[in-house]
Amino acid sequence: MSKSINFPFPGLFRGMGLTLKTMVKRAPVTMYPEVQEVPVPRARGVISLDVDNCTVCMLCARECPDWCIYIEGHKEEKGETKPGARMRTKNLLDRFDIDYGLCMYCGICVEVCPFDALFWTPEYEYSEPRVADLLHNKEKLTEWLATVPENPALES
Amino acid sequence: MTSREMMHRSESAVSIELQTPDMTLNIGPQHPSTHGVLRLVAKVDGERIREVEPVIGYMHRGYEKLAEVRTYAQITALVNRIDWVSGFASEVPFILGVEKLMGVEAPERAQWIRLILSELARISSHLVFISSYPLELGATTPLMHSLREREYILELIEEVTGGRFHPNFNRVGGVKSAYGGGSTTKKQSMDLPAGFFKRTSEAMDRMDKICDDIDTLVTGNELIKMRTVGVGIIPPDKALEFGLSGPNLRASGVAYDLRKSDSYLTYDQVEFDVVSRPGGDCYDRYLVRLHEVRESVKIIRQAIDMIPSGPLQAKVPRVLKAPKGHVYSRAENPKGEFGYYIVSEGGKMPYRLKIRSTSFSNLTILPWILKGQLIPDLVAIMGSLDFVLGDVDR
Ligand code: SF4
Ligand code: SF4
Repeated sequence: MSKSINFPFPGLFRGMGLTLKTMVKRAPVTMYPEVQEVPVPRARGVISLDVDNCTVCMLCARECPDWCIYIEGHKEEKGETKPGARMRTKNLLDRFDIDYGLCMYCGICVEVCPFDALFWTPEYEYSEPRVADLLHNKEKLTEWLATVPENPALES
Repeated sequence: MTSREMMHRSESAVSIELQTPDMTLNIGPQHPSTHGVLRLVAKVDGERIREVEPVIGYMHRGYEKLAEVRTYAQITALVNRIDWVSGFASEVPFILGVEKLMGVEAPERAQWIRLILSELARISSHLVFISSYPLELGATTPLMHSLREREYILELIEEVTGGRFHPNFNRVGGVKSAYGGGSTTKKQSMDLPAGFFKRTSEAMDRMDKICDDIDTLVTGNELIKMRTVGVGIIPPDKALEFGLSGPNLRASGVAYDLRKSDSYLTYDQVEFDVVSRPGGDCYDRYLVRLHEVRESVKIIRQAIDMIPSGPLQAKVPRVLKAPKGHVYSRAENPKGEFGYYIVSEGGKMPYRLKIRSTSFSNLTILPWILKGQLIPDLVAIMGSLDFVLGDVDR
């Protein structure tokens, strides 16, 4: 098929003019390792755990769509309130692991937790050379707690 | 026989036997022009394609089966991974279907938020097309421009939902209204963050600008025109026959848009035009998408003026159980009609979820349209159909 070719391609040169104009402008790029990228407060970066709030109810582990939360706990007797009354118990957390190699950052666990033990934080610098190291244990998840941001102000 | 005679004989034999057998050419599964892992088995005669057979399934993740053992809330997190270029837009039809099944309706504000985010997703999806299509035709510059602008859209989506690609923001009966469900501390509301409207309208100004820039860079470019005008023409009857939808259908002159013809969310309250072009060639498919960005900008501008305040979530039971029944719900994805057929037996999980993914239906026309085309045009035609392989294979 032959098409009419009107040399010297005015459209092409208009486009090149735009390229030239863009070339002299500053690029809107964050030069990452030197300059830190600041994610928005709601960004789902990593999940932090407040161990004191967690009651080992297992809701998050059950609702997680790809079962990447591993929880183990045990009961501890707290003593009876009155002589002869039922022994009061408390659930204690032994193990709380989130496998970030599997997590799909859906946020369901944070949403279903009835005791506000899980929070999103926008931190993102936790990549590992070995995928197995992406399993964050209780201590590591608690460390993230310091980075939980304030909720942003809302639009009316 | 002299040697001269022999030469003469063999030459004439060659001219008779010029009917060479067709060569089978495997394109893909890992080929930059196939948008992922699509394999095309083409029978070629020189540069002409005689026959082509798409081989799909390399990216099958079994969403329909997965959905049978997931609760409705978990499926929402899964379905935005079907078409990852416009994650939010594939959540909407699913959640609308579940809402229809359960008989709940989202509050007004939630509907508007869904509309704004769907349109943002449409812009970002079309910007990906506008960047990748010229790239496939050999132009690298538009990629830089439109992906740069897409970042502003993704930032807006992230600001509201917390995720750039996978928002997981729709809930049955509204949108995600709070961060945690806990009662011990104050709930963190997930309403639009302050200044969102201002930043959105700024981004919309940018979108207008980039549409003009892309016009300069691509639309008026003679080389792009040479590659696309009159190439891969899909007549309207064929487009309907193969079940195309979205921009691919509208580029063939059929002005069919679910946002108008089967209005959902609050699309009936905003004014916009259904973009359609008569030609049906690759250039028209590109132009329809570019103009749809402009229409989406128009819709979003109206939406941020009209959005009412109010609750984000209707009252729904804590454990979501859909009553027995079945429903088909559909919505206009950036790529076309996206539908879910949900069959419920009354439990927490659907009994069956059939996904009508857009790209799969749009891909069915490939064997017909590629027949008799040249190999260089294959890339141009395939790119213009704008499919995502995750959407094809599910
Ligand atoms: S974010 Fe989703 S996938 Fe990740 S641990 Fe929580 S529930 Fe599981
Ligand atoms: S849902 Fe919350 S309280 Fe229950 S186990 Fe998970 S983190 Fe702990």
